Amino acid sequence: MNWTQSLFRLVEPVVPPRFVIKRLLLLIPVLFGVASVVFAILHLAPGDPAIVIAGQRASAEQLEQIRVELGLRRPLWEQYLSFLWDAARFDFGQSYSISRGNSVRSVISDRVPITLELAIYGQAAGILLGLPLGIISAVKQDSLTDHVTRIGALTGISVPIFWSGPLLILLFSTYLDVFPTSGRIKSTLFLPETWTLFGRELPLTGMITLDTILLGNTEAFLSAAHHLFLPAVVIGVYSTALISRMMRSSMLEVIRQDYIRTARAKGQGAKITLMKHGFRNALIPVVTVIGIQFGTLLSGAVLTETVFGINGMGLTIVTAIGVSDYPVVQGTVLTFALLFTLVNVFVDVTYSYLDPRIQQ
Amino acid sequence: MSTDTETRGTLGRLRASPFLADLLTNRLAVVGLTIILSMAAVAIYARVTYDLGALASSQLGTEIVDRAPPGWFGPTPANQQLFGTDTAARDIYKRTLYGAWLALKFGTITVGTSTTVGVGLGIIAAYYGDVTDNVIMRTMDVLLAFPPLLLALALVAIFPRELGLWRAVVALVLVYTPRFARVVRGAALKVLEDEYVDATVALGATDPRVLVRHILPNTLAPITVQSTLNFGLAIIDLAALSFLGFGAQAGSPSWGLMLSRGVENGLLTGEWWLYFFPGLFLAITVLGFNLLGDGMRDALDPRMRDAID
Repeated sequence: MNWTQSLFRLVEPVVPPRFVIKRLLLLIPVLFGVASVVFAILHLAPGDPAIVIAGQRASAEQLEQIRVELGLRRPLWEQYLSFLWDAARFDFGQSYSISRGNSVRSVISDRVPITLELAIYGQAAGILLGLPLGIISAVKQDSLTDHVTRIGALTGISVPIFWSGPLLILLFSTYLDVFPTSGRIKSTLFLPETWTLFGRELPLTGMITLDTILLGNTEAFLSAAHHLFLPAVVIGVYSTALISRMMRSSMLEVIRQDYIRTARAKGQGAKITLMKHGFRNALIPVVTVIGIQFGTLLSGAVLTETVFGINGMGLTIVTAIGVSDYPVVQGTVLTFALLFTLVNVFVDVTYSYLDPRIQQ
Repeated sequence: MSTDTETRGTLGRLRASPFLADLLTNRLAVVGLTIILSMAAVAIYARVTYDLGALASSQLGTEIVDRAPPGWFGPTPANQQLFGTDTAARDIYKRTLYGAWLALKFGTITVGTSTTVGVGLGIIAAYYGDVTDNVIMRTMDVLLAFPPLLLALALVAIFPRELGLWRAVVALVLVYTPRFARVVRGAALKVLEDEYVDATVALGATDPRVLVRHILPNTLAPITVQSTLNFGLAIIDLAALSFLGFGAQAGSPSWGLMLSRGVENGLLTGEWWLYFFPGLFLAITVLGFNLLGDGMRDALDPRMRDAID
């Protein structure tokens, strides 16, 4: 192989773009269905949006006027089509009550980064701890380490977040006073809206630990990390438990395959075989689980945000359902579904990279 | 494993036995089963002994102290309550035990209904194929595109508050059904490849007969594992919906609601017993189902069995 060829191999895409595009096109009918379900759910929901907006004491004429303005007097199919059109443009109108007068889009763009940040830290902890734990557990099957890891992981997935969260707060905040009970940053610290890169003003990401790094504000970063620690631990433990379980059973299956024996027979070292042949193949089903589990993680974020009083997407949706703020509910539920499906496309693409047979 | 291979061989001739034998040699599964049976005993005891109305109503104004710590805890172990009392002076011990009844009852209904509906849809989709298969499975795909708890939350909004835990049950049935349909369809498609199904059809068996007598029994194994693992999830999710305020009605001794009220009132004041016990029972119950489900999966997976021998 001459150097041009090796250079070409470097830039050659690992997954054919056609596969990615095909996978994205398959999303369209699913998202269409998802939007229809959301439309149906909120049209079946009891409660009159006009009353939510104008309050109980509004006159009949006022209420009727609001209904006409909201388009609730149009035929159902017309409302449905216009909802689909709005959803495609990601426009859900204005919030009725929780963030009155602001567009749902701005509410979502404010809060998605908060939830994503939490989910990313939790998932990262899960991957960094769960994969090695799973491998060790499989390689040393039926050892003490294996038993402790397995029982630990089973306990990890059985303990509800809304119990472990409060217990951690009780221990570390109420008794030991080393971590704050809620919030995202010390209330005395204020962050600007933008940061500067080579003299240009850029908007911040909304992920507070990243933002404080971009701003170069060490004190704010430490405070943000301090606040995020307990919530991230709660989600991270759950995610670690799930991933280590999957990694263990997948690894157990792979290390009994013939190709592992062949590799060992030709004189390859145990560690190299394990990592080069075992790990990569065992990772394939685990990647799928990481994707599916991202949905559970988002559900976990809802509960974690509620427990730790973090005003992300999760707390927003719970509050919005409670006060019948339908546009916010529609917007947040659709955003969650979109995030979840996109992660699964990403997982499929990773999968096909790990196992090129899938692309056919 | 330490099981004698010869015993295994004899047992192997009976179709159902290796599964049970494996399950019972799996210590974790036995622990799980023990936990579930004990919790069921607690649930029935509480259901028979305690009056729901009395457990739900406030005891404020009586001689019972509210927010009293457990009898064995604290500087002055004056009161008799094992788990202490809550903000309405209700006995947390009795309420927690009754919570086991609610969790198992509503968990059973949720998992039972979603299993039945999911199995039906999955088998029908696999057997009839074509348009039927597409309509059913694409609908399931749409439901699976939502993160589970989020779909449940949105669905709960449809139903009136008076339905209490029932609305959480209906929402969760819609969330779980697609998982069963998917697993069962996969299993049924495998069975359909077998020649005996063709033979039965050739002999003139009607569709319902083929579905119920031949395909259903052969998909029971994966269904059982899925149901057991989902049972744990269902109990957590029911509690989660109550915790978020979309399940059990005020006063109900459901674990989720007790946790939510307990955290609200006791988190910052350090009155840990307000939420510790319901959460503990919840975690132990779920652990029981996960242990059993895990053991069943290992026992059912023939590759694992070979690997162990």
